[in-house]
Amino acid sequence: MMRVSVERWAAWASGVEGDAGWRAWARSPRAPMPADPPDVSFLPALQRRRCDALARSMLYVAHECCPDESVASIPTVFASRHGPIATTVTLLRDLAEQRPISPTRFSHSVHNTPAGLFSIWSANRQPSASVSARRESFVQGYVEALCMLHRSSTGRVLFVTGDEPIPDELAALNDEGAGGYAVALLLSGNDGDEIRLDRRPDERGEPPARGWPDALEFVRWWLSDEPTLAIRRGGIRWTWARGAAPFPS
Amino acid sequence: MTRSAPHPPCALAELGVVTALGVSIEETWPRLVAGDQSRFVERDDLSPGVVRRFGAVVADLPSVPASLRHLACRNNELALAAYQQIAGGVDAARRRFGDHRVGVVVGTSTSGIASAERAFRERARTGRLSADFDLAQMEHGGLPEFLARLAGARGPHYAIATACSAGAKALVSARALLELDLCDAVIAGGVDSLCQLTAQGFGALQSIARGITNPMSRNRDGLTLGEGAALFLVTRDGDGIQLLGAGESSDAHHMSAPDPAGGGAESCMRAALADAGLAPEAIAYLNLHGTGTPQNDAVESNAVARVFGRGVACSSTKPLVGHALGASGAIEAAFCWMLLARREGESMQIPPHRWDGHTDPELASLELAKPGAQVLASTPAAVMSTSFGFGGSNCTLILGDARS
Repeated sequence: MMRVSVERWAAWASGVEGDAGWRAWARSPRAPMPADPPDVSFLPALQRRRCDALARSMLYVAHECCPDESVASIPTVFASRHGPIATTVTLLRDLAEQRPISPTRFSHSVHNTPAGLFSIWSANRQPSASVSARRESFVQGYVEALCMLHRSSTGRVLFVTGDEPIPDELAALNDEGAGGYAVALLLSGNDGDEIRLDRRPDERGEPPARGWPDALEFVRWWLSDEPTLAIRRGGIRWTWARGAAPFPS
Repeated sequence: MTRSAPHPPCALAELGVVTALGVSIEETWPRLVAGDQSRFVERDDLSPGVVRRFGAVVADLPSVPASLRHLACRNNELALAAYQQIAGGVDAARRRFGDHRVGVVVGTSTSGIASAERAFRERARTGRLSADFDLAQMEHGGLPEFLARLAGARGPHYAIATACSAGAKALVSARALLELDLCDAVIAGGVDSLCQLTAQGFGALQSIARGITNPMSRNRDGLTLGEGAALFLVTRDGDGIQLLGAGESSDAHHMSAPDPAGGGAESCMRAALADAGLAPEAIAYLNLHGTGTPQNDAVESNAVARVFGRGVACSSTKPLVGHALGASGAIEAAFCWMLLARREGESMQIPPHRWDGHTDPELASLELAKPGAQVLASTPAAVMSTSFGFGGSNCTLILGDARS
């Protein structure tokens, strides 16, 4: 499968600050705790007000990950399992109680809201895809990032993934962690810190839940010296290998 | 914006389609070329107290199998009705390539949010969500999971959720999955279902037409919502109807209004032409996004006039089936597929543009197809479809048929 380089990365979760903070987290990882979304003071005030928790966290990591000079010229893939679910639940509550719904809230309830807000902020007119794939949203979103890299002539793609906390009304139905994290990877076809992805059937079933999402598990691996990372989901084993490291059989 | 290297063949080998016009290609085709507007139904349940017309699918839909009960919702019933039409082709692809080489990429904007609406109404009455509600019904990712489980497809499977461009963009991703050799066949398209959220949301934006949508007219007053599904089996075959080109762009302007300058609409059409290696003159028919909102039609007509300086026969098919949002790009690609498949020699019937005929002097003049219209197609016969969505997400597809 296609070989790509990780040019830059950025991550956000509560209580983890900066590169050193993430390196410490990677040595003793833990589930992210609910927290206020990150500071996005780089956004103009009006745009900042339009951002919910999900958009704030995704735009924060996108901004951290993207060099200023190329932020407008890189195609993007945004992957999120639930998208702007707090906004959606507010609308569902309004509908159930027969209150008129806000047109602005409606137009910011689409799954590609963070992608749209990023494009507007950065004046980025490049192609962009927004992906959702239940518990596989990170791995399947990564596949779409490869597809975007392939079909674009720019040689780079910004892959942004994250989820915001599930509102209380739906918390009992949630089968994953609490949410409240975002990760961005700037992937390119250039030489550099190369990784490869392998995908094959694996009938062993899923490993016990580790408490943090796949995207943060990727960050943990990226900051470790382990040659490969395996994520088992839905009868498939996805394995990333760095450099020329062989895939385990 | 799009790579310039020529693409290997990308066949839209099988098609299943469900809209207000019918639940099969055979049922849909005569109504499509006749410009049948009789299929809309009046409903007042989606915006209580407000009677509007909707492109609803009124036929009985197949039931979601009991083993996939957690995914039982109207959106997936529409998906199932389309899937059943291509199931034979999908099974053959699985046997030929293996389960792990068959993927699923589908666009949706609503997923099964109507099920969540019911669950929240129950909660407002009783304090508890209805017992049969599952988060998977309202997740966009529930749709590709449903289709993958149904088909026994174990390749990559995910939803593209870029609002009204999603169904078109799913086909672009499917082509990339084949070109990257991640799949040998991909089930791709779009599915969307009527719900209160979109009816009242577009109502709040004052974007719903009082009657049937009337695109490009000076009297246009908004869109008419629809629902449906279109699923293709996308393969590397060199025969049959092909995806010849695609273009994507972002407006970078506004979440729910198109860029008035139309740069995004124009650049994605130009990118699709470049991707297909075709000049504008090679396009025999353009299926417009044509929502009937004042802003969309103003932006789109001007962008079309700039790209097609010499004109192109075009129509919006939303006055026949409504705007099925996340499915619309796939449904309109399905209509393009049908007219290519049903073409006789160089002569191709195209769907008429149904409207009141009152030209808007503010819009660029377009060659809107009249009832019974036929066009002459060159070789390859090529047609284009445009889709523009919330968040400024734009996609243009070019379909073609190399048979002479």
